[in-house]
Amino acid sequence: MTEIPATSLSEIEAYARRHGLTNLTPEHLSRLAELADKVAALGRSLPRMPSKEDEPAHSFRVPQP
Amino acid sequence: MNKLAMGRDFDIGALHFASVTDASRLIQTGALSPIELVETFLARIDAVDGELHSYITVLAERARAAAKLADAEIKAGRWKGPLHGIPFAVKDNYHVTGVPTTGGSRLMADYVADDTSTIVGRLAQAGAILLGKLNTWEYGTGNGHVYHDLPYEVARNPWDLRRFTGGSSTGAGASVAAGTAMFALGSDTGGSIRLPAAACGLQGFKATFGRVSRAGCIPNCWSLDHTGALCWTVEDSAIVLQTIAGYDSRDPSSARTEVPDYRQSLHQGVRGLVIGVVSDFGPEGSALDAANAVAIERAAKVLEGRGAIIRDVTLPAPLTQYRDAARIINWAESFSIHEQDFLARNHLMGQALREKMMSGFMVRAVDYIAALRLRKALAKATDALVRSCDALLLANAFHVAPRFDEPDSVPLFTSETASSVFNITGHPALSICTGFDGGGLPLNAQIVGRYFDEATVLKVAQAFESATPWRDRRPDL
Repeated sequence: MTEIPATSLSEIEAYARRHGLTNLTPEHLSRLAELADKVAALGRSLPRMPSKEDEPAHSFRVPQP
Repeated sequence: MNKLAMGRDFDIGALHFASVTDASRLIQTGALSPIELVETFLARIDAVDGELHSYITVLAERARAAAKLADAEIKAGRWKGPLHGIPFAVKDNYHVTGVPTTGGSRLMADYVADDTSTIVGRLAQAGAILLGKLNTWEYGTGNGHVYHDLPYEVARNPWDLRRFTGGSSTGAGASVAAGTAMFALGSDTGGSIRLPAAACGLQGFKATFGRVSRAGCIPNCWSLDHTGALCWTVEDSAIVLQTIAGYDSRDPSSARTEVPDYRQSLHQGVRGLVIGVVSDFGPEGSALDAANAVAIERAAKVLEGRGAIIRDVTLPAPLTQYRDAARIINWAESFSIHEQDFLARNHLMGQALREKMMSGFMVRAVDYIAALRLRKALAKATDALVRSCDALLLANAFHVAPRFDEPDSVPLFTSETASSVFNITGHPALSICTGFDGGGLPLNAQIVGRYFDEATVLKVAQAFESATPWRDRRPDL
């Protein structure tokens, strides 16, 4: 498997700006880059369910009559 | 001297260590006035909270007025029940009309609530007396570290002031153990009632998801949040749950399920009950403190000695699966709750909350949905295990309360646990004190029951508590 490169500061700064996060200090941006890699790795590690019909738990319900 | 119902003589100066059960019997018979009891707790707060920091806000005059009213009602023959005149406190993420809610955060520094949380309201209706708002991690959440960077001093563990209380209901754990509140409300998204209970030697009960309303408590993660109480004894837990449990239309997850009489079955014993003991957690289990593991074995033997049938069982999935699903769900939902504050005012956040928001900022929708799917599968498989027994006995916090001057060990107290398993599944889980280690620090385990069968959880815990001496020891503070 190809190793996934770490998120660079310029990447994370652009991503943050794109999503409205413009006020982080340089130190916080570095931390965001570190956490971005950890969160992505954790997300990738979750098993995917085998069936497309496997609906997740969800909170939407219509009111009972 | 007051003769308490359990047969012990209490110097009036130690009333702050009486249980709800005992104090309530004294109040009912007129041997103790709510005014005297509230003054006892206010004096105790004055005496120790300068170093304990269990409170953010003390509502002394409000409590005195409520005590006066309760005293008059009881003297007039209008005793409302076992919480009438009993002083309690709430984690400062519960709203109370006209009272500041800080959430432990600079972001809410000037906020005064215009509504009261459902369960605080139910306690008030039952005559319980609110002493104040308790310390908490910021918004009841974080990344597990304690950075000492919030606007309020960090709560200290009454068993050793150099140590952590467990989080996030830090003040709730400290207050009940130290006798600055008779019981306390906390909230539990990944263990935040049960972990402070574990660190502080209490009984902390997270009932079935939907059993106790969350309305009026600042949300942390909607689908994992539970509300509940930390108490000194199991019977106290039953008394409080009796009052706070039940359907609430203000909480969309609230269950329309009948609430039984928890005290009726409390002392029935465990003869014939099948209790599954989880002692093998796979590789993650190696982190469990030897003292906690031994205490759980002993607890199983105590229950066996009382007639329970002990069966070795294992969880249907590794702990990491529950923890990973919980983290993704928690990060995503929590970020959704605090997004606007994070984008505009993250400089006001403490480091723990800010870093959690950073994690939430990065979660992909597809990963959140994968975590929800995983949760559903884990809940189903775990429920099959729970239904194969009457109750489970297993580890909760793997460690005893860590020292603040060993900061690397602090986050392990909240991460190396089996607590979040039952936030993921929604089963009722009660943290119990299983004794003390060689250094005098509380040990713990959790008892877990079938959905909406809190009565059996309490019955098992009561059988253990009544057979052991652990409620006789109090912090020397």
